[in-house]
Amino acid sequence: MNIVRQQRALLFILTIGITLTATSTRAAGPGFSMGGTEGKNGKCLDCHATQGKVGSKFFIDPVQYRHTNHAKIGCPACHDGAVIAGHPAVRKVSTKTDCRICHTDIAEEYARSGHAGKAGCNGCHNPHKAKTPTEICGSDLNKMCAGCHNNYAIMASHAKWLPQAELHIEMLPCITCHTGSVNYVINLYIINRQGIPHLGKFVPAGYDELKRVAGKKDILAMIDTNGDNYISLAELRNFNTNPDYKGLHLQAMMTPETVTHSFRILDNRRDCLFCHASGPGAMQTSYVAVPKEDGTFRKVLVEKGAVLESLNSTPDFYMTGKTRNSILNKIGLLIILGGLVMPVGHGFFRFLSRNIRNRKENGHE
Amino acid sequence: MSEHKKIYLHPLPVRIWHWINALGIITLCITGVQIRFPEYVNICGSYRAAIVLHNWAGLIVALSFSIWFFYYSMSAHNLTELYVPNGQDIKRGILRQAFFYFFLYFFGTPNPHHATPGNKFNPMQKSAYLAIMFVLMPVVSLTGILLMNVAPLRELILTVGGLKVIDILHYLAACSLGAFLFTHVYLTTLGHTPLAHTKAMVTGWEDAE
Repeated sequence: MNIVRQQRALLFILTIGITLTATSTRAAGPGFSMGGTEGKNGKCLDCHATQGKVGSKFFIDPVQYRHTNHAKIGCPACHDGAVIAGHPAVRKVSTKTDCRICHTDIAEEYARSGHAGKAGCNGCHNPHKAKTPTEICGSDLNKMCAGCHNNYAIMASHAKWLPQAELHIEMLPCITCHTGSVNYVINLYIINRQGIPHLGKFVPAGYDELKRVAGKKDILAMIDTNGDNYISLAELRNFNTNPDYKGLHLQAMMTPETVTHSFRILDNRRDCLFCHASGPGAMQTSYVAVPKEDGTFRKVLVEKGAVLESLNSTPDFYMTGKTRNSILNKIGLLIILGGLVMPVGHGFFRFLSRNIRNRKENGHE
Repeated sequence: MSEHKKIYLHPLPVRIWHWINALGIITLCITGVQIRFPEYVNICGSYRAAIVLHNWAGLIVALSFSIWFFYYSMSAHNLTELYVPNGQDIKRGILRQAFFYFFLYFFGTPNPHHATPGNKFNPMQKSAYLAIMFVLMPVVSLTGILLMNVAPLRELILTVGGLKVIDILHYLAACSLGAFLFTHVYLTTLGHTPLAHTKAMVTGWEDAE
């Protein structure tokens, strides 16, 4: 009996020992400390940050990844650390984490949306490049949708009821109409001509090409000349009229102030007045999105009323009805009233002189 | 009742053009006001309806303008003669006509200008129509075509200076045309009867004054 008890005790101790060893390996993984960001990712990025080592499928852009919040919790937080022990010999590293564990509220909101079941988180978001809404340029937003939604089909379906569908789809992120938000803001971003001079296509300018134009100074300094991290109307006008930046233009998009995952078809967006009617606070808030080296954007607040100014602040952004300029309204009214001077003024004297003219006409007869 | 000698002043193509243009421009003015001030004006039922109607009316007016231009320059061959003030008009004619309209008219003095098919506009009319037909109409039509096709014609829009430049030109030219409409309609009542000029634009025959 004693021998049996001794054998059971030894087996128990061995089991506990093996379990503890395995748990400690799983928790930290070889090369993964619980310290800084680099420590959590460094071992993985030794290989995965080099396309030549892992191929394009498993390549992680280190510049973009290090910027994400996911980099702060580290690779093992989402990927199965236990398998890493045999990696890369075993090669297979599964994703053990469900996005819903951390992003519960978003997941619940998404599950209630019309898009639920159509795509998972990875369908739209690359966790190794995930950006916060403030770090993304308006024109990049639609790239996520274009991954599944064919641009021509979208254009054709919208053209059935939407005038200038191509323009709307080009100038608006899908989420502006297909998610709800109380307020909307204007995001200005710099576009540059590429291809044939004077005929090439305008595309959002990236960090490298803007840096070449900016030279030694910061890209933002091309617009925010006094460096106060706030863009005045005068600074916008200077940027638009500066001959050094002749090929660059500011393009704008109307985006929701609060980004949500409540995707659905909103019938009130079919009413043009949802966007095209003016109001007391309409179009007062705008930002300029300036690209950063890591692929994200820095958004800088612009003085109120930029898109409502007549010409120089945002010369290529105009929404009929919404961004009408009040001074031009008054000038237009004066012109029309000028057209009434002749009928009213002349008509008045014509009325007063009716007897003289009648006598003259009768005298002739 | 005095007997008026009749002259055939407005050929059929000109009359058709005039009334198509009139209907088109009135439609453009009404829909244009709704497009710019949608929260105050809703004549067409919806903003989309106003846009669609404005686009169609704009295309018709632009096409009608082209027909007018080609008719006078290619077929009638008297575009310059009718619409461009000559030296005499500039030296004396405009002042004489203005003096008539704003002074002599009220004393029953006859109009110094006698319309003929080859010279149907007085010097003031010529100057006004020169600005309207050779400046305002082309500006409002071309900017309208650009505004209707922002995405495909963006390159051209940027070359001109951007969407706002195009919009401002379109808006100011449209306001000027709208202003002219009041003066134009009023001046048609200055014939020997208030409707004499309007009838002439229907029948083609004008009473010689």
